[in-house]
Amino acid sequence: MANENPHSSNYRAYLFAALSITLLALSAWVIWNDEFGLRPWKHYQKEYKSLKHDKLEKDYQQALQDFRRSGGARRLAMLEAQLAKAEEAFKQKGVHDRYVELNAQLDDLHAKMATNQKELQMTRGQFLETEYYFTKTQKPEYKKKMDELQRQIDTIDGKGKALLVKEEPIRQAIYKLTGGMTEIRAEIEAIRKSLEERKEKIANNDKAPIEIKQYLIKDTDKADRCVSCHAGIESNVQVSKKEPYTKHPLGFVYLGHHDPTKFGCTFCHRGQGRATTTIEKAHGNVKHWEEPMLKGNMTQTSCLNCHGDIKNLRGAEKIANDTELIRKYGCYSCHKIPGYEGMGDVGPELTNVGTKVNYSWAVRWLMDPKKYFSTARMPKFFFTKDQAEAIADYLFSMSGTTRHDVDYATATPNEQLVEQGKMLWSQARCNLCHMTNGKGGNHIKVYAPDLSKAGSKVNKTWLFNWIKDPNKYFPGTRMPRFRFTDQEINALVEYIVSEYQDDEAESAYTTPVQISAASIKKGKDLIQQYGCYGCHKIQGMEMVQVAPSLKSQGVTFLRSDEMREKIGTELSSIGSKPVDLLDFGKLKKSIPNDRLSYIKQKLRDPRGFRLGLRMPNFGLSEKEVNELAAVLYGFTDSNVPVRFLVPSRQELEKMAGVPGYKFTGDFAKVISDVKCTNCHTIKGIGADYAPDLSLAGSKLQESWIRSFLANPDVIRPLLQQMPKLGLTMGPKPAKITMPKFNLGVQKVEDTNRSDVDVVVNYFQQELVTPDIPKDLPVIADIVMPEQIAMGKKLYDQKGCVACHQIGADGGAVGPNLSNVGNRLRAGFIFKHLENSRKFKPDIVEPNYGFTERERIFLTNYLMTLKLTAK
Amino acid sequence: MNSLYDKVKKNLIWKSVFRRDYKDTVRNRAQAIFGNVFLHLHPVRVRESAVKLRFTWGMGGITLLSFIILTVTGIVLMFYYHPTVDLAFLDIKDLEYQVPYGVISRNLHRWAAHFMVIVVMIHMFRVFMTGSYKFPRQFNWGVGVILLVLTFLLSFTGYLLPWDQLGFWAITVGTNMGAATPLLGYQGPFSEYLHITPYNDIRFALLGGARVGGNALLRSYIWHCVALPLITIILMSVHFWRVRKDGGISRPQP
Repeated sequence: MANENPHSSNYRAYLFAALSITLLALSAWVIWNDEFGLRPWKHYQKEYKSLKHDKLEKDYQQALQDFRRSGGARRLAMLEAQLAKAEEAFKQKGVHDRYVELNAQLDDLHAKMATNQKELQMTRGQFLETEYYFTKTQKPEYKKKMDELQRQIDTIDGKGKALLVKEEPIRQAIYKLTGGMTEIRAEIEAIRKSLEERKEKIANNDKAPIEIKQYLIKDTDKADRCVSCHAGIESNVQVSKKEPYTKHPLGFVYLGHHDPTKFGCTFCHRGQGRATTTIEKAHGNVKHWEEPMLKGNMTQTSCLNCHGDIKNLRGAEKIANDTELIRKYGCYSCHKIPGYEGMGDVGPELTNVGTKVNYSWAVRWLMDPKKYFSTARMPKFFFTKDQAEAIADYLFSMSGTTRHDVDYATATPNEQLVEQGKMLWSQARCNLCHMTNGKGGNHIKVYAPDLSKAGSKVNKTWLFNWIKDPNKYFPGTRMPRFRFTDQEINALVEYIVSEYQDDEAESAYTTPVQISAASIKKGKDLIQQYGCYGCHKIQGMEMVQVAPSLKSQGVTFLRSDEMREKIGTELSSIGSKPVDLLDFGKLKKSIPNDRLSYIKQKLRDPRGFRLGLRMPNFGLSEKEVNELAAVLYGFTDSNVPVRFLVPSRQELEKMAGVPGYKFTGDFAKVISDVKCTNCHTIKGIGADYAPDLSLAGSKLQESWIRSFLANPDVIRPLLQQMPKLGLTMGPKPAKITMPKFNLGVQKVEDTNRSDVDVVVNYFQQELVTPDIPKDLPVIADIVMPEQIAMGKKLYDQKGCVACHQIGADGGAVGPNLSNVGNRLRAGFIFKHLENSRKFKPDIVEPNYGFTERERIFLTNYLMTLKLTAK
Repeated sequence: MNSLYDKVKKNLIWKSVFRRDYKDTVRNRAQAIFGNVFLHLHPVRVRESAVKLRFTWGMGGITLLSFIILTVTGIVLMFYYHPTVDLAFLDIKDLEYQVPYGVISRNLHRWAAHFMVIVVMIHMFRVFMTGSYKFPRQFNWGVGVILLVLTFLLSFTGYLLPWDQLGFWAITVGTNMGAATPLLGYQGPFSEYLHITPYNDIRFALLGGARVGGNALLRSYIWHCVALPLITIILMSVHFWRVRKDGGISRPQP
């Protein structure tokens, strides 16, 4: 063969050629992949551009069609012809000179009018000043001066009107001279512009470059490139409903308040803002990226990063609602959670529970509270009967030595007392907070115990003492002290005990049985192990748990509550805890190994991960699990820049060194008894189920306060109050009003003032604002009946009747005004009509822009609306 | 046409760059070698039996190729990389997502590094099995051993630079091993005689501190990008020069 020489072997040439071609192909692929394969956003941007182009084009065509259909072209041609004619006419000799002359006249006139206007304002000012002195001093010299000034005002005003009359003829002369040239030009311009602007928009869209877009956030390591694909996210117009071309849902709330160029995307949505190569990477749904993207309502968890107070935050409704669960189940009792320090105990004090409940009930309850009441908040600890008995033994041993039950089911109730009790029950509106047999009970937020089976649970003597003075047994309880007489309390007790019996109640210890010391010891150990003292105050237990670090130094007892370590894990940064630190235990293989799945599983089945876990099962529904997990996921130690933080009102006050508002004097005593703040807000303290009373003194008349406290009745139609209360009242809602606390019956401790006097006095001294005048300004020149008539006319003209009810007529949105003359102070109505949002920012009432005089008329009219007492 | 040819070729600039014509003469061939700094390191002549793939496996050459690829891609990567705690990881992310040809540069660098370590070891294995470490090549074997260590060190220092969990803990473990070095590490035997503490031992020198942090990242970066490549290039030159001086690449006995 000729190819003996190995250097010229064909075989090697082919191999070499093949390798070269492969290398070339590979290089080509690398270039293609880098240009397009790794940059899918180019495709999305192109697609978005073409979608936007289509939409703009459609708009343009529509506008064009409208233009043609409405004869726009003809109109334009006509205008142009008119303009040409006018321009021709304007060129004639002398016209231009005349035009200049007329314009000079007009300028001169305007200057005169301006001077006149200034003079008028000055004189009016003087008049008002004099009027003020007059109303204050009533001296006749002021009256005289007022008359003098009024005359001056009339003359100046007359001059002004005379000048105004001159203006129109000059304008008409100019118009005639120019043939309306200016106006025609403006119209032509407007017609052309409306179409050209649309065209320009299309051109701009087509010109926009395809490029990577990102939000670089100052002082952080954020470079959010989400907008490279989500090109229309900032737009006000929905170009397409398909992802990623949509606009941001509720953009005016979220992006409107958080300029994306300053906040970016990932502070709220998490995900991997820098990634652009695939959807999975960008959304953070890849291994080793621990912050997958938050979508939809779940994103609201991020509000917790910056906002200290999300209660009334627009756009954070879901998470605000979810956080309520933390309060409901008292997570902070066992776990340290920032913002929930010093919240008070979730459960009642147990030190003297032996004097309160039946032993059999206690054991049953301890074993499975949810089985007893499906609405129970106490979780299940999976105690065996022995364990439950041991705990009950320990608790009962603190106030006695025996296991004992009382059985009222067999006793015959006193019918007369029961009848009286039933009446008192409804008068005091016990059902407002307490649920019975599935009715009533604002258990969504107040969490008062269900009383359906109370008769088989508690002891009569205890119940009597409890109603008489709840603070005595449980300091800090939310139960108000109603001012019942002892006889009334007896009746109420008789009613509760006989009416609300439990059919399944056991009473194994009607004859008391001695408690053994071994059992007490066992019970104490169990209480310490499971941390019952987290939710319940148990005497002797406040000081047992000590931080491990201190234990190692030999410290075993500390008195201070702050030093007590919570039994559970700290939750302040659970939402950003590295996944490696979460103990999946034996579920490592059966559930997804991410943070959210862990949190949800922990809430569903707290002890399922491995043996030896102590967290009890709250029996949460899947909905509650999701809601609670959303909140917990929001507790992060994310490094949000300080400039983003929006502290809550309390935090702000703390930072400014302003002490929070505190009730003082005898009123504080009344508040601690009647618990007004369970429903009302006063100076930022309390709940928002009932009206804010912070300015009640300026708003309400004394006599009305007195009669309302004596016999509360609805002010506002039921419609508006119902959803806020969240009551479940069955098919026929009863009238919801304030409970009758029987104020005024008793004197406040250590004083001889009655409750109502104290309340009224405090309202008038403390809950007032200088912004609201005590009395109305007086209008001297119109007699009162006429003012009232004018007020009534205004009331009818402005359509107040659409929302407010007087007598039997009117709408049900605003408060009923039938008795407003007895209820509100005139000064308040007067100010309220000026700017209703000043005292209540979220009010629906429109602002009508009344003049001062109109407001006085209206107020005077409203003050005549009085119902005579029956 | 000829005048243009003359204009381009017949001047001092052309001649100072291309010092010879292309006539295939013995003198030209020899001059091509003598006149070229790179080929200067190369043996003047290579016997046919020496280029047999079966004997050398070409591993030394492939190692050099890897090194060249690493140098080129490494320089590209340096343009986009800040050796600081705040930015290092994010720069790696950007290389992966945004920098033009960042993905191919980074991946080439990474794979070539792995490849080089493997190939260097195979090269050494071949040298050992063919007995090429024996006289007269025993000095070059020594240089080769040092180059092997340098390759490992390059690999080790480069591992920290992405500033991810993997690198962070690898360097933590690696330098903790350093802490157990006899005499030089504070945990090593006899170190107490030298008054070695965690703050003056070999680990401290490697990390620029007592734990892995910003200083460790900077030191890694400078070792990886400047110091180690310089030393490696110098020793590589020696290595190739010794191959030439020791009678060319080793080959099967004739």
